[in-house]
Amino acid sequence: MATERKPAATEDAKIDLFEDDDEFEEFEIDREWDDKEEGQEAIQQWEDDWDDDDVNDDFSLQLRKELESNSEKS
Amino acid sequence: MAYLSMGESHRRIVDYLSRFSDAVSSQDGASLKLLLSLCSSSPSLLSVADALNAFHDWTRLVNQNERYSNIGEIIVPLLRSLQSYRLGHFADSYSTFEKAANAFLQEFRNWESAWAMEAMHAIALEIRLLAEKADRELVSNGKNPEKLQGAGSFLMKVFGALAGKGPKRVGALYVTCQLFKVYFKLGTVHLCRSVIRSIETARIFDFEEFPPRDKVTYMYYTGRLEVFNENFLAADHKLTYALTHCNPRSKSNLRMILKYLIPVKLSIGILPQKWLLEKHNLVEYADVVNALKRGDLRLLRQALQEHEDQFLRSGVFLVLEKLELQVYQRLVKKIYTIQKQKDPTKAHQIKLEIIVKALKWLEIDMDVDEVECIMAILIYKNLIKGYFAHKSKVVVLSKQDPFPKLNGKPVSS
Repeated sequence: MATERKPAATEDAKIDLFEDDDEFEEFEIDREWDDKEEGQEAIQQWEDDWDDDDVNDDFSLQLRKELESNSEKS
Repeated sequence: MAYLSMGESHRRIVDYLSRFSDAVSSQDGASLKLLLSLCSSSPSLLSVADALNAFHDWTRLVNQNERYSNIGEIIVPLLRSLQSYRLGHFADSYSTFEKAANAFLQEFRNWESAWAMEAMHAIALEIRLLAEKADRELVSNGKNPEKLQGAGSFLMKVFGALAGKGPKRVGALYVTCQLFKVYFKLGTVHLCRSVIRSIETARIFDFEEFPPRDKVTYMYYTGRLEVFNENFLAADHKLTYALTHCNPRSKSNLRMILKYLIPVKLSIGILPQKWLLEKHNLVEYADVVNALKRGDLRLLRQALQEHEDQFLRSGVFLVLEKLELQVYQRLVKKIYTIQKQKDPTKAHQIKLEIIVKALKWLEIDMDVDEVECIMAILIYKNLIKGYFAHKSKVVVLSKQDPFPKLNGKPVSS
């Protein structure tokens, strides 16, 4: 995980004081990396047009059934 | 332990002293760095440490030689520190290392060029790592852990030495990041504020001049702070910067960035692709994403409960919990869409009891008054456009864009 040294098992209880689970690892100095490629990939990692009007998924079909059953009873 | 002759010990120690002295006189920062990296446990340093433990009188090798007079104040505590380190006495090792570090810093201030920056950075890293080991040792011996705090103070001094107009200033961001790691570990993140202010407002610093790897680390930590403070747009900007500029091979760091970026994106209505979660083993977010897509409030609550410990530890629990409003919005939108398919003329009126019914189906027990309250909040926060007809217990939706999208902005507070 994130920490650079694994804590000894006996100190686990107190380790909460000393831990940041998400401590960034040190980057190696003498290696530069080409970030242009990764940058392009990043754009396709997200979707912002997911909020559509499609109600044909399982959840929506079951929801519809549930709502319709109500109107039948009344 | 293998037998180490006095002759061999003497040779190793003198060799180390020569290398150190030569590195300083020839201004070789890279070589000097290797001689300072105690926690790397390099075979070379460990062999010197063994020699020190065998040859007890080694200090006279330093003190009796004119050649080492200028580095004596650094090298004697440094080697004592190495000696203690080898014996696993980390609190002692830290204390002497701190002395050496201070002596080094004094010399460093006098060297005009930035030749020793690598070495200074090595000291910054080592002092933090040693302090962590020292504090663990202190705690296990029932004593008060105060070394990491001390390391923090030292790092502030180093920062001060770099915050000037000369060429050394590009080294300041690395030290800043070490400070972040210290403060995050101690839980004293409010102390980050002063260095952040220096980096971002002092005129001597031009952020673009700093090395790329330091900028990534900086944006990661300041991005996390923005998440804690719920400044989601700033968090998005910083964490996205860290993500796009991070070494693609640093899997662990990429994962950490995404761990914080995903809740931020969710808060501004943007979902991660499924493959992204799988690629970086962040499947704890999978059900949260599904809940948002579906409008499934039960699933969201389940997901939060299942991974509660994880989310609490990383501090994103509250951010995720607030997604409830967006999930409600999606659910009501689904009800609206279903109604519209049956009877488009009446669809813009949604009876509260229908919403209650839907929630009950999701095993969420809420009465009409509670649902009315939620609808009022959704309207207030512009997640629903319309008004509430209280007497008839009906939500009347606006005919135009009744469920405004977030469009990359967080829910209005």
